[in-house]
Amino acid sequence: MRLILLFAAFVVLGLAFESAVPHLVSFRALIPNLIIILVVDLGLRHHGVGPAMLAFAIGYATDALAGSHPGLNAFMMTMVFLVSYGISTRLMVTNALVGATVVFFGVIATALATVAFADGFNALSDTGSMLPGLTLQAAISAIVAPFIFSMLAASKRMTGLPVRAKRE
Amino acid sequence: MRGSFLWRNRVLLTSGVLLIVSLHLISTGVHPGDLAARPESAFLEIISPVDAAFTRLSDGVSSIATGYLDLVHVREENARLRIELARVNSDRARLSELEVENRHLGELLELKDVLGAKAVAANVIGSDATGLSRTLMLASGSSDGLRPGMAVLANQGVVGKIISISPHASRVLLIDDHNSALDGFDQRSRARGIVAGLVDGGLILKYADRSQDIRIGDTIVTSGLDGIFPRGLLVGTIQSVHRGAPGLFLGVRIEPAVDFRELEQVLIVTQPPPHLDDPAKD
Repeated sequence: MRLILLFAAFVVLGLAFESAVPHLVSFRALIPNLIIILVVDLGLRHHGVGPAMLAFAIGYATDALAGSHPGLNAFMMTMVFLVSYGISTRLMVTNALVGATVVFFGVIATALATVAFADGFNALSDTGSMLPGLTLQAAISAIVAPFIFSMLAASKRMTGLPVRAKRE
Repeated sequence: MRGSFLWRNRVLLTSGVLLIVSLHLISTGVHPGDLAARPESAFLEIISPVDAAFTRLSDGVSSIATGYLDLVHVREENARLRIELARVNSDRARLSELEVENRHLGELLELKDVLGAKAVAANVIGSDATGLSRTLMLASGSSDGLRPGMAVLANQGVVGKIISISPHASRVLLIDDHNSALDGFDQRSRARGIVAGLVDGGLILKYADRSQDIRIGDTIVTSGLDGIFPRGLLVGTIQSVHRGAPGLFLGVRIEPAVDFRELEQVLIVTQPPPHLDDPAKD
């Protein structure tokens, strides 16, 4: 329950930030994808049925504020969780660098997969103009990720939640 | 139990089930009134005040930064004048902000009169959270008489349509989103086509026959045949016409009439447009 409340607070603030700030910043790529950072943290550090459902719920909440295909972000966030979980169970170390790398590729992969899902794979040929901005956003998200991970870790310590995943 | 296959693979199995649920939602869609639409509507309702607060906060931070720069400049001249000037600047900024808002609302009111349809004005409080789609969030919802599918306009032209709603907030799919399409025609040549968005945010006129006389600078307006947008509303002007485009149709790019990033207030048509004839027959 504490994990749900903690992530719910971060998700509400993250979505409000991502939705409100583009009004001030003309170049959208400068705004990091905070939601993917949260889901990567969930996948790397919280293994279980609850966190998987939480990742789905975060995606579904994102669907309320982004895109026009309900379920698309829920799908993508569950995939990001699954990949992060898979990496976490196979690597000995899941530090901030690993998290930032997953975030970098996660931002690019989810954007391209979202376009492919929404418009069909033919639309991927039109994404060439998106790639520089997308890569920049992925890089900024990856740079910001360790700070968000630290904030989450501090919040987890304060609320008595485990900071690292238990090895299975 | 703990050593069983199901327990060892519980995360993978749960994620698999959730992926199937997501695919089901994507393929069937979520319609207003559906059970699946309730969490979405509830979340939109929860996030909209936070979003509006963030927008106000970010506007405030921007004003403070501007005010500070003004103060630094004035300090070099005179301390007393600096404070007075800052106060005057602050008042002027506030008044000009009110003036701009007043002008926007006045223009929307004029548009409402021209349309002759029932319409309500709403403030824009946010944009698409992921940036992968082109949507806006409005600070008005079903309690203000809004419904999904209603046309959203600005005084410069067509903005989009409402796609989801909660009691006090709603989301608008902009016409330059890659999932948006509306029926439009060239005001000069009467050539018809479907105005659609592109992945990179541009706007094109699809299905325009190669034999049709479409020129750069022509005005594209709504036909009203899609049953959403009233007829004759400005969509944009032709930016380029590519006759060598592959396929059966012309490659026509449109410059939207509305600058979607600058939108602060919009008008939502709450009364469906009357039935209209084919504009090509005019």
